[in-house]
Amino acid sequence: MLLEMKRASVNYGSVSAIRDISLAVPEGGIVTIIGGNGAGKTTTLRAISGLARVGAGEIHFNGERIDKLSVDKIVGRGIAHVPEGRRVFPDLTVEENLRTGAFLRRDKPAVEADLESVYGRFSRLRERRKQLAKTMSGGEQQMLAIGRALMSKPKLLLLDEPSMGLAPVIVEDIARIIEEIKGQGVPVVLVEQNAELALDLADYAYVLETGTLALEGPAAELHDNAHVRAAYLGV
Amino acid sequence: MAELLVQTGLNALYAAAYMSLIAVGLVLIFGVMGIINFAHGELFMLGAYVVVALYADFQVPYVLVAALGLVFVGCVGVAMEWAMFRRLRDNPLGGLVASIGFLMILQALVSMGFGVRMAHVPPVTQEVIIFSERVRLPVQRLIVILAAIGFLTALWAFLTKTRFGWALRASAQDQEAAALQGISINQTAGIAMFIGASLAGIAGALTAPLISVNPHMGHSVIVAAFIVIIVGGVGSLEGAVLAAVIYAFVHTFVTTFADGVIADVVGLLLMLVVLIIKPTGLFGTADRA
Ligand SMILES: Nc1ncnc2c1ncn2[C@@H]1O[C@H](COP(=O)(O)OP(=O)(O)OP(=O)(O)O)[C@@H](O)[C@H]1O
Ligand SMILES: [Mg+2]
Repeated sequence: MLLEMKRASVNYGSVSAIRDISLAVPEGGIVTIIGGNGAGKTTTLRAISGLARVGAGEIHFNGERIDKLSVDKIVGRGIAHVPEGRRVFPDLTVEENLRTGAFLRRDKPAVEADLESVYGRFSRLRERRKQLAKTMSGGEQQMLAIGRALMSKPKLLLLDEPSMGLAPVIVEDIARIIEEIKGQGVPVVLVEQNAELALDLADYAYVLETGTLALEGPAAELHDNAHVRAAYLGV
Repeated sequence: MAELLVQTGLNALYAAAYMSLIAVGLVLIFGVMGIINFAHGELFMLGAYVVVALYADFQVPYVLVAALGLVFVGCVGVAMEWAMFRRLRDNPLGGLVASIGFLMILQALVSMGFGVRMAHVPPVTQEVIIFSERVRLPVQRLIVILAAIGFLTALWAFLTKTRFGWALRASAQDQEAAALQGISINQTAGIAMFIGASLAGIAGALTAPLISVNPHMGHSVIVAAFIVIIVGGVGSLEGAVLAAVIYAFVHTFVTTFADGVIADVVGLLLMLVVLIIKPTGLFGTADRA
């Protein structure tokens, strides 16, 4: 397994956000975490990238325990996290945003090549490379946030609600991009409230409810699960 | 009259030069670390005392002393970051209180070492550029103006053209998102403190031969610097420079044509007017105000 979370819990002060969560991400697939508001999806991703500290349990990446490392060390191990709400740097240009994604890389020629390939994938970003990120539309900012994460040449990509607040056509674009990323061999952990989208894209799925793991299984199976259909797919 | 205006303009330019060096550092530190460094005026004072200690007392060449002042005060800034601000990172009020405590320690140490009276700094250069009978620019003032332009240009190039410059700006805009790019806050905070403190230090070292150097000289500077960063917009470096220029011109002209106390009042009024018309400052954005 590339990433393993073992019985992890996170508290914010006295509030318990997730309890006893175990999950695993294999090489080269898409794993999704679905659940309603406040279920603990974002917290789970934050625990992996080190933004939230696990109070109990362990997280292993590539065989190494990472839950005690600082965020920049974890990023350095190859985990890129596209946070909820995109969080692009508003007063940096598009290109500067992308280059900060490559902050830890020393292989300059490869960085330039990757910049080209991000521009190739997101032509809107190339057109707007000199524009400040805050002047971009929501969809463009999401592309920028994903592009920035790809610039770190990640071994694992964490995506927190990439479809949030976007028009259906843009959501389709994002879905296609996620599949392309998987196609290039980069495993993805996809957090979504849009369960339909998530279960379509993913190979394996976890369902969080009020901070605990309610269900897990191959995405296609969960798609047919009666509880999932009633609670998350609205059918 | 025209000559008096030009002369006052030159005086204002000089004041704007060292004020911007101080204000920009304060803004940079606030932007990256979210901490208001009340001890910033004392860093300026330390820079001046490096000149007192090495140039006035030991006749070390002035250029070397100024460079040492820059590096030494920069290192004091790094030490402050490591010893205080890093430990109080999630506690802006704690950082502020710690910086006030540190300000008093610096004043006390300097008073013990050099006495509380004004220290004498012999002039570095007596040369004066004479434009006309009543328009003169002492070369030492010209040096301050040129140095400020040089340092601010270098800072701008660093922030916009280098990897660590982007990192600093990214941290200032969204610290968590910056961390997710592998940018260590310890590193950017240390760099911001070094730059901010060293700019205050060099301002002190360059103005030392021109002003009265004493352990409490930081006071008047920090009050002016706060007005400047509020007028400019708390998060904005360009705003700080522009506001330093505006403030210095207003203050210098009012001092010349009325008097210094009125100038202080007008400076505060300027801040009030800006706050009423545009609460985020001239260049500020809402999220940092
Ligand atoms: N910084 C915080 N301080 C206190 N409680 C928090 C904090 N962040 C999250 N929580 C709480 O932790 C729980 C899990 O929140 P989390 O953001 O992980 O949910 P989520 O599944 O991502 O929800 P959403 O779909 O709305 O984004 C919630 O009860 C939330 O109120
Ligand atoms: Mg969330």
